[in-house]
Amino acid sequence: MALRELSSLEKCLGLKKPNKYGTQGERKVPVLQNNNGAPLVGLVTIASHLVHEAKKTVLLGNSAEERAVVQQWLEYRIARVDNCPKDELKVILKELNHYLEDKVYIAGNVFTLADILMYYGIHRIVVELAIQEKERYLNVTRWFDHIQHYPGVRHHLPPVVVLRNRVYPSGHH
Amino acid sequence: MTKENVQGASEEEPQGQSKKGLKKQQKEAEKAAKKAEKQAKLADQQEADEDDFAKDRYGVCPMVQSQQKLDRALVRVQDLTPEKAEQQIWVRARIHTSRAKGKQCFLVLRHQQFTVQALIAVGDHASKQMVKFAANLTKESIIDVEAVVKKVDQKIESCSQQDVELHVERIFVISQSEPRLPLQLEDAVRPEGDGDEEGRATVNQDTRLDNRVIDLRTTTSQAIFRLQSGVCQLFRDTLINKGFVEIQTPKIISAASEGGANVFTVSYFKTSAYLAQSPQLYKQMCICADFDKVFCVGPVFRAEDSNTHRHLTEFVGLDIEMAFNYHYHEVVDYITDTMVQIFKGLHDRFQTEIQTVNKQYPSEPFKFLEPTLRLEYKEGLAMLKAAGVEMGDEDDLSTPNEKLLGRLVKEKYDTDFYVLDKYPLAVRPFYTMPDPNNPKYSNSYDMFMRGEEILSGAQRVHDAQLLTERAMHHGIDLEKIKAYIDSFRYGAPPHAGGGIGLERVTMLYLGLHNIRQTSMFPRDPKRLTP
Repeated sequence: MALRELSSLEKCLGLKKPNKYGTQGERKVPVLQNNNGAPLVGLVTIASHLVHEAKKTVLLGNSAEERAVVQQWLEYRIARVDNCPKDELKVILKELNHYLEDKVYIAGNVFTLADILMYYGIHRIVVELAIQEKERYLNVTRWFDHIQHYPGVRHHLPPVVVLRNRVYPSGHH
Repeated sequence: MTKENVQGASEEEPQGQSKKGLKKQQKEAEKAAKKAEKQAKLADQQEADEDDFAKDRYGVCPMVQSQQKLDRALVRVQDLTPEKAEQQIWVRARIHTSRAKGKQCFLVLRHQQFTVQALIAVGDHASKQMVKFAANLTKESIIDVEAVVKKVDQKIESCSQQDVELHVERIFVISQSEPRLPLQLEDAVRPEGDGDEEGRATVNQDTRLDNRVIDLRTTTSQAIFRLQSGVCQLFRDTLINKGFVEIQTPKIISAASEGGANVFTVSYFKTSAYLAQSPQLYKQMCICADFDKVFCVGPVFRAEDSNTHRHLTEFVGLDIEMAFNYHYHEVVDYITDTMVQIFKGLHDRFQTEIQTVNKQYPSEPFKFLEPTLRLEYKEGLAMLKAAGVEMGDEDDLSTPNEKLLGRLVKEKYDTDFYVLDKYPLAVRPFYTMPDPNNPKYSNSYDMFMRGEEILSGAQRVHDAQLLTERAMHHGIDLEKIKAYIDSFRYGAPPHAGGGIGLERVTMLYLGLHNIRQTSMFPRDPKRLTP
């Protein structure tokens, strides 16, 4: 899974030459064997490296504050979203929905790596949602729809249908 | 007696007893004093009872066994208005609540969904004993009171008759209720959610149904079933006006009409029979017998073992069957117009009932279009697909998809009532007429209220040969439906129809969430009583 994600990320960043990855351990943590130097281990580490390689460091944030927010949400993706037990999915959606209430992108007004990786990570959850649930987590759905249509991001993932108008009466559970 | 003996014995004991003994003695003495006081009080009361000047003005009536024809007019609670002020009247009602305060006793008297406040105060017409008697009456007892209607300065918010109260002069019990009720009426009408916040009790559905007789007395139940009666009446009135004939069909039948799996089998002398899933075959035979337009109101049985919010094993079916000239849409239009007349009638005549139910179960008002919206099954599927639902072209609608489609239609067309036309032939019963343009589809339709199916209907096959083919295709024993097929051999007009579930219409019109709320004595796989 992580490997397909990295190859999609490469294309998204415009890297021409695909890297070769391996995995290590039970949880299949991705490993990138660099031509020069020690191997890089872990999704976020490799992803950040690819961003540097593509010379698109703006994706890691412009200011110190933005960079911190991006790191924070990359960590959230790895620690909370991945391997999340089924009964906690709702909590994640609720948190994210609340956070995104007044934001276009995760870091605020700029598109960053956090948006890409969060989109890849949360896709499997959003795909399963019923329309009523998508409407309940309205901000997540809005952000998700925006990112899946962001040029070059979607790649290996199927598009998720998102209704633009409310179908269920508001306040109804 | 024994206690006194003990006390006597202790008194005889020499001095020098323990502290404990002394205390005991004191306690015994107190007890004896209390007892004496009580007895004195009782004697007092007996004395007082003897000179109770009002003792003919209250009491428990002997059981009404029709001994006498009293020339006494009983006024209904709902008719107690300021126009009746200062009149002396008789009322029969239940005791909804009672509250005694010194020399006064307030009663709330209830008849159906109407309540009025009554007051009994010590004075010229009532004695102390009479007030006490009134205060001790149990809730839900039925009483006759003679009273004077008085206007009140301040509206009585807790009653339906807010402008008057009754000053009681006589009060007689007609039927006494047991002191403990299996459920409290106030708890049973509390809106969902309110109870949780205030820490008050709510009554769950099974308790309600186990004690249905009491639950049916609540304002909500009264309103629901009055409205349901209205649905039936509007259905009849509308169809009779359109020239329909009401028919009665047998409910014990020899063969299942739509698929054999979900029928109840009954033993019928030396053979077995079934309980009718619908009057389908009989209303069609009436069409063949030149009745042209028929309808039928009666019980329908389904042996489906589904415990859902919208399935019952016995419900009331409102069935329509009608011969048409050239296109079955003639019939669809008749049926939808009938439904629209029902909705309009309910809106115009049953506003009080709708409001009453809404107080406990809030819902949006029911919306519909004129003429009724008709969508084809294909269009419906396209709407679902656009919303990201994956399903095959000839699949039947699942319940969640059905509900979702209802929401999509509501959002797009702003209607809670619509027709879905041209269902795939494969998911309909054998007597459904195939679509001439595409044999995979059929001339059949469902009608939906708030996204849930209330009516299933179709053009029927009126050609004996095609009917035989279709029955064989569905693997039905031709022998058992011979009479039915034969009825089409001697000239049968093209016809279509449909069947509506009365309970579902009531439930969905009011926006309720469980069909048991709109069935007076519901039957489901787990409930045969009351």
